[in-house]
Amino acid sequence: MRRLRLPGRAGLPRGEGPWPWLAAGSLALSLLMLAALLLLLAGRGLGHFWPAPVELVTLDDGRQLAGQPVREERRQTLQGSPLRERLYRTGNRDLDGEAWRWVEVTSIARRERPDDWAVIERQRWGELIVRPLALEEAGRRLAEAPLWAAFAARLERVLSLRAERDALRREVIAPLARRLAAGHDDAEARARLTEAQARVGELQAAMTRDALVVESAAGERLTVPLESMLAAWRPNAMSPPEKLAAWGANLWHFLSEGPRAANTAGGVWPAIFGTVLMVLLMSALVTPFGVLAAVYLHEVAPQGRLTGWVRIAVRNLAGVPSIVYGVFGLGVFVYGIGGRLDDWLFADSLPSPTFGTGGLLWASLTLALLTLPVVIVATEEGLARIPAQQREAALALGATRAEMLRRVILPMALPAMLTGVILAIARAAGEVAPLMLVGVAKLAPQVPVDGDFPYLHLERKFMHLGYHVFDVGFHSGDVEAALPLVYATALLLVGVILVLNLTAILLRHHLRARHAALRSR
Amino acid sequence: MDITSDTHSQHISRQFNQELEELKTHLMAMGGLVEQQIQEAVSALLEGDSRLAERVRDNDKAVNDMQLKIDDECTRVLARRQPAASDLRLVLAVIRATSDLERIGDEASKIARNALSLIEANQGAKGVVEVRHISEHVRKMLRDALTAFARFDIELALEVVHEDDSVDSEYASAMRSLMTFMMEDPRAISPVLNVMWILRALERIGDHANNLAEYVVYLVKGLDIRHVDPEELDEAAIKRQD
Amino acid sequence: MSETLFSQAAGGTRSAVIEIPAARSCLEIDDLSLRYGGQPALQGLSLRVPRHSVTAFIGPSGCGKSTLLRVLNRLHDLNDEVTQSGRVLLEGEDIHGPGVAVAQLRRRVGMVFQTPNPFPMSIYENVAFGLRLQVPLKKRRRDEIIEWALVSAALWDEVKDRLHDSAWTLSGGQQQRLVIARTLAVQPEVLLLDEPASALDPISSLKIEELIRNLKSRLSVILVTHNMQQAARVSDYTAFLEGGELVEYAATDDLFTNPRLTRTEDYITGRMS
Repeated sequence: MRRLRLPGRAGLPRGEGPWPWLAAGSLALSLLMLAALLLLLAGRGLGHFWPAPVELVTLDDGRQLAGQPVREERRQTLQGSPLRERLYRTGNRDLDGEAWRWVEVTSIARRERPDDWAVIERQRWGELIVRPLALEEAGRRLAEAPLWAAFAARLERVLSLRAERDALRREVIAPLARRLAAGHDDAEARARLTEAQARVGELQAAMTRDALVVESAAGERLTVPLESMLAAWRPNAMSPPEKLAAWGANLWHFLSEGPRAANTAGGVWPAIFGTVLMVLLMSALVTPFGVLAAVYLHEVAPQGRLTGWVRIAVRNLAGVPSIVYGVFGLGVFVYGIGGRLDDWLFADSLPSPTFGTGGLLWASLTLALLTLPVVIVATEEGLARIPAQQREAALALGATRAEMLRRVILPMALPAMLTGVILAIARAAGEVAPLMLVGVAKLAPQVPVDGDFPYLHLERKFMHLGYHVFDVGFHSGDVEAALPLVYATALLLVGVILVLNLTAILLRHHLRARHAALRSR
Repeated sequence: MDITSDTHSQHISRQFNQELEELKTHLMAMGGLVEQQIQEAVSALLEGDSRLAERVRDNDKAVNDMQLKIDDECTRVLARRQPAASDLRLVLAVIRATSDLERIGDEASKIARNALSLIEANQGAKGVVEVRHISEHVRKMLRDALTAFARFDIELALEVVHEDDSVDSEYASAMRSLMTFMMEDPRAISPVLNVMWILRALERIGDHANNLAEYVVYLVKGLDIRHVDPEELDEAAIKRQD
Repeated sequence: MSETLFSQAAGGTRSAVIEIPAARSCLEIDDLSLRYGGQPALQGLSLRVPRHSVTAFIGPSGCGKSTLLRVLNRLHDLNDEVTQSGRVLLEGEDIHGPGVAVAQLRRRVGMVFQTPNPFPMSIYENVAFGLRLQVPLKKRRRDEIIEWALVSAALWDEVKDRLHDSAWTLSGGQQQRLVIARTLAVQPEVLLLDEPASALDPISSLKIEELIRNLKSRLSVILVTHNMQQAARVSDYTAFLEGGELVEYAATDDLFTNPRLTRTEDYITGRMS
């Protein structure tokens, strides 16, 4: 007799051979791998934003260096003796010509974590890891104490001035300049432009007022203008909550700012925006096409050998490598249609191409083409699940075929269509290869949506998280700096896809809930 | 359509076959018992055997019990099988037939009781010849009706229906002669009345046998000929009708 | 009492068909044959369906009873594999005639299917579906018709407070009555019911049967069922089909107590034949 097994009770059914164990094992393994992937990405990526402590290292030979320890590696010397080396992020690229130092662990005589060492993020040359000595205002040394508090206050002032300047440039000067460039020569705009530019000059001057005198571990002294700084912190002096706050701020900068220093620093906002926009555009393109194609294939076309072949062809299209779609997009959309469009509509700006080069529209179209089979197959399966009686019931009430499709069949197939779109998004958001041919850019800080008519610039190149990973990981000069960003960006890509999918899933759930108790009959 | 005696054994449900078969068997058993009752009641009279007459009188309870039992079975079949067409007609015919058989049983016990009074009075048997004659006739009718029922035999059933007329005329002439006898000899009124009751019971048994025969027609043909005058009965039509 | 016609088909099979006077019939089927992909599904059917009564088609699976029902609604139009001959007259007019619009015909001959199949919309919209396909009505008038249809389908009391809930929140029996209401709303002359209660529990089934009996005062009902007791309970006339042929067509009272033909007898009493 079989014993009743209560739900929630652990244990697999006995006496059924190894199959349940094998099945459960494979599932557990998959989950484990997924968890490991996410943990790796999260650990390596998110850890990057944590304010790591600064170590002041004194070597055997008396030399000193200051840096944030990154990791240790065991290697062998050329003679074959074992070697333990620790990597320090030392910053100060402008001083040392190198921002990273491998230090042999055995050669370290002393390690300290002095509170007064600071990490200063600059607009150029990366970070400084130095000891602040004094503040200067317009070349005059100040004796304000405590030094760090005074410095922080003045840096705050510079940051707010910079924010004001950037806002002015973005919101006043740029539109006015475009207006004037477009030929609207009016005196008032000119006057306002001059005024704004004068104000920018003032702000600029105000920002350059202060400077910080610092000393590096090697003993070099230099005066760093506050104007060049983005942020500064003293990791050794920070309490855990302060570190957490700094971590959050860093993460926020990463998410909300554009890239700097050849993509090895700064944020990925344009890439997030580009990815999401491209996926949304792709969904908007692929859904109607896919649904219409599926409806034709399943509802309208006479079912015969031809439709069978078409169906096989569509299913096989899903297996074509994505780069092939990229080549197709490049040949047909970019050079073919785009080139023709340029000839007709944008002839005055030739030879520089408008649509005749890769852009958002062509990328979305290419991906739409790539994901079309998925949508068609999913929609068709949804249509096939609707019982024939449902159609006949509509017809029997005097509906025409079009009315039946529109009012009964399509609403019922909606969840299936959304499933198709979800699958399409999942596939499209992760594609990189075809995008490299049809419109993705290494650096396009200008997002394709702005305040200028027509607001959505379909011809612009855009950044993409997937491509960003590829670019930062393989094409950046500073591999050590790029690596954490690669992880963080990859994690972000996963997150973006998750959010896009969740949105679609919630939408589908909502639609299903509207017709609760979907019958399984 | 015509049905035959094995029509009821061709159902997909063998249980149903068995149930209908049992109905028929029990009805035949009841018919046999009732026939025996008549035969014994009449012999008791003819041979002056009071113990036999008493047994017939007391056996009537067994007949009644059989009726209840068969009715019960019919109810069960109706409730559980919801029979249609010939099956339905079979069940209905059995219900009606048991009721007629039960009445026949009553008449038999009536004969036995009258025979008892005759035997006790030890009176000469006036009209005994008529009783013997009519009883044989009536018994044959009953036997034929039951046979027709068992065999789904329309022709035999129709013969029974016609037979009833001759029983009726025999009964009428017997009554007339007994009437004359009573008028001639007023002392014989009491025993003659007993004989007349017996004759009347026999005549009623004939009527019931006639009913049984009519049920056979209903069962086989689906036609109700209960209130049709036998003279007007279009036998050819009944036999031809599909 | 109507006359029964006995006839001998070419194949030697006999049929017994009650003759309904033309004046009392709403539908006349005249020598209807239908082949489905070369396979004969209906063979030379001729019968008249009386007005304002319930006519049941019974028979074993594959006997053609559902096929026949679908012919009456012209649902076979969708299928290229179907070839048919013979005529079907609705109130004297050939339903396959050149002047007949299919949608119009289907409004006059409504159909309800085996499984309850409300559309994915509210109860109200389900009933309004057929109406919205026709000339636009004032909301007030539409509401009236919808209420009337739901009342006629004996559903109004159960749903009047939740007309705008999804139709799929109803129970199976309620859904089927909703589907009937939806069909009634377009005010058909003939209602075709294809095993309307076979997917329902016995109580829901009885409610549908009660509804069918009540409906016949308004329209003619044709009921296809493989539940003989159901046919016996609700119908006035019953046609027994077997192998695509009409075997016997008679008043239900006659057919279920005294069928004329052995084939009918064997079928309704559950005998092997």
